[in-house]
Amino acid sequence: MAEVGRAAPVVRTARVVLGRLGGAVFVLWMVATLTFFAIRLIPGDPAEAILGGPGSQTSPEALAAVRAEYGLDQPVFVQYLAQLARLATGDLGRSYSLNQDVAPLLLGQLGGTLLLAVLALAVAWLLALGLATWSTRGGRFAWYLGSGLEIVAAALPHFWLATVLIVLFSVWLGWLPPISTSGVSGLVLPVLTLAVPLAGFLGQIMRESLLTALESPFVLSARARGEGERGVRWVHVIRHASLPAISLSGWAFGSLISGAVVVETIFARPGLGRTLLTAVTVRDVPVVVGAVLIVAVGYILMTLLTDLAQRIADPRLRAR
Amino acid sequence: MHTSGHTQRASRTLTGLVGLVATGILLAGCATAESPEATEPVSGGTLTYASGDAEPTCLDPHVGGNYPQALVSTQYLESLVSRDEDGTIIPWLADSWTESADGLAWDFTLAADVSFTDGTPLDAAAVQANIAHIQDPETGSSTGYLALAKVTGTEAVSTNVVRLVLSEPDSALLESLSQPWLAIESPTALARSQDENCAAPVGTGPFQVEKWVQQESITLVRNKNYSSPPEDAGHTGPAYLDSIVWRFIPDSASRYAALQSGDADVIDNIQPDTIVQAEKSDTIVHLDAPRPGASNRIELNSGRAPFDDPLVREAFIRSANVDDAVTSLFHGTAERSYSALSSAEPLAVSGPDLFDYDPAAASDLLDSAGWTERDSDGYLVKDGERLTVDFPVSTNQSIPAEQSLFEQIQATAKETGFEVVLSPMDLSSWYTALGENDYDAVSAPYTKVGPDVLRILFHSDGIIPAPSGYFANHAQVNDPAIDALLTQAGQVTDAEERAALYADAQNMVLEGFYILPLFDQQNHYLLGTDVVGARALPTVSTPTFYDAWLK
Repeated sequence: MAEVGRAAPVVRTARVVLGRLGGAVFVLWMVATLTFFAIRLIPGDPAEAILGGPGSQTSPEALAAVRAEYGLDQPVFVQYLAQLARLATGDLGRSYSLNQDVAPLLLGQLGGTLLLAVLALAVAWLLALGLATWSTRGGRFAWYLGSGLEIVAAALPHFWLATVLIVLFSVWLGWLPPISTSGVSGLVLPVLTLAVPLAGFLGQIMRESLLTALESPFVLSARARGEGERGVRWVHVIRHASLPAISLSGWAFGSLISGAVVVETIFARPGLGRTLLTAVTVRDVPVVVGAVLIVAVGYILMTLLTDLAQRIADPRLRAR
Repeated sequence: MHTSGHTQRASRTLTGLVGLVATGILLAGCATAESPEATEPVSGGTLTYASGDAEPTCLDPHVGGNYPQALVSTQYLESLVSRDEDGTIIPWLADSWTESADGLAWDFTLAADVSFTDGTPLDAAAVQANIAHIQDPETGSSTGYLALAKVTGTEAVSTNVVRLVLSEPDSALLESLSQPWLAIESPTALARSQDENCAAPVGTGPFQVEKWVQQESITLVRNKNYSSPPEDAGHTGPAYLDSIVWRFIPDSASRYAALQSGDADVIDNIQPDTIVQAEKSDTIVHLDAPRPGASNRIELNSGRAPFDDPLVREAFIRSANVDDAVTSLFHGTAERSYSALSSAEPLAVSGPDLFDYDPAAASDLLDSAGWTERDSDGYLVKDGERLTVDFPVSTNQSIPAEQSLFEQIQATAKETGFEVVLSPMDLSSWYTALGENDYDAVSAPYTKVGPDVLRILFHSDGIIPAPSGYFANHAQVNDPAIDALLTQAGQVTDAEERAALYADAQNMVLEGFYILPLFDQQNHYLLGTDVVGARALPTVSTPTFYDAWLK
């Protein structure tokens, strides 16, 4: 006979997912609203931006035509409702400054940024895992060195690190291009720039939980069963120690996207971050709202994924 | 016209660091740099140009009309006339021209056997189509549109002679037509949709647009049938380079690194500290090409208190220590100007004696103007009002060194008793502040070929805001005598008479203390020493790579 009052784990997980989806819609609406008003309530005139931007000596006729074409002569609240109605149907609108539809424009830029973020996340995990493992078994000196490196890495601002890497590897050694190129070599410096500070964060957390796990009773019992040091670490401890880092990865993804704004600008890489920065400076509301929405969707998806990953890695969560 | 600001903001923090490290690297590089003196131009190769300006949204400079468009379109579009280094207008797509006796009709004879890269011949009808395109409100032209304000119509006198009909004589017509925003494009190409024409405009230039991957690069390839170099070009026939890759690298430190590593051959938007480093290098050449039109200057709003009083305007100028600040902040890369016009303008009048730094004289002037009391913060007060100067600063238009210069002026003017309130703002907010007459001082660049820029900046017509709220006479000079001089100078084509009228007008502006000139509008390029023969066109100082070749 089935248990009464306790749904099957699959149903419970589905309920969690549905709840999250409802929350996600609310979050997206808030994001669209805040972004729209934040960028529109600053005094200024996007019509100037549409007409060639800084420095073009704009004729009044052209300005009036542009205002009518983009509905900029309407009250702000009417513009907001119109934008919301469009967004609800999945239409991100048309860019003021690039004269293209926003959705294909941003989707075209998304690939480059996702590639950068995924590679950076992977490299950060490898670096963090390697450093944490080495520093917890290498004795006191390794512990201090590892911990020191992690603190320094975590504190490195992207723009600084990018500049140092460019000077070192492009100008000095001449190994890698300082600006994006079509090949793999152009990806190395941008990925490292994003990965190193993140590896610092992840490493700090992993090492703490590694140490805690190594002192846990289950490690003692594994050793008592005759498990070797390698088996203990790579089978039992890593799984345990990775939990906090997994939950941190959802946040990390968001930080990678914001880091992409800096990294894509410095390395002149096409991508969502650079598009967003350019759009903000020229008040291109549809692009800014669209880009922020896409980032928000990414954030929500990553949070959902990390939740699921934790449920898989940690059987205790599945029961709740 | 100016550089985009986010570039400068993003890179401000970086340049210092790169400076430290890069100096060492450059010095190390000098020892090994070899530059074998090749004398004969070699054909072939691809030049990579890395621009710090914003990527244009349309490659046709008729649409909108800003400097980033001018930079790239100089490679594939050409104008009816050009200007040589002495400031003389020279033939380009037009071989010769005549002005009618009443000044209301100009006939241009076009160069023979010139075709656009789509095969369309250059003829009178082509020029007519271009004028019509610029004047069509659907095009959304701003710079080109304003330059043709006096042109009311066109006629094809014969297949190769085109007539421009004017509403009143225009002494600036040739200078206006020399600008890249009025370049002549293929009428066949113009007949396409605006989106198509923006993506790949068709001209007569030494290169043509092959492809444009937005946010990535523009690829330009050699026009094999090129036959229309301007009179001051270094050779005839097609260009030497096979192609040009035009890239957009917003960060100035990355741009410089790309030049050093050889990933770029030419870069623009160079900050003063980078110029200093580059000049120590054997592998980098510095090209200083100030933009024409107005000098960079602080305009004092004579339309409201306190600068409605000429004594206060003069006092502010005497209280500002500009020379020392320019020397220290620009490291000798910018020369102090005492003129309303750029040094690229032959008719510029300079008044070095008018702008002495003299705090004692400033105090006396303010005393006579009734600013006698001081408040607890040390600022001068009159009738309970503090002597405040509201100074909105456009972070898009003023480079970091210029913004620091304003801070130095703020500090020295404070010693005399001025409270200068600097408000950094983005371009839209800055336009709004100006439109609402909410400023006492402001600095705005204005690029235009020829002294007619004086009419735009100082004629009282320029005080009336356009519906956008924008107006160019920021100093709000409202003097019938100056208006009369500028209107007359705009119509008189006799060179001497015109020069004398513009000189009188400039003297009145300078002696009225409406502006505090700072320096030419800065425009620097850095080139690798493997690039030979590149130069800046003396029209709006955009670089041309027609004569350029790679060692």
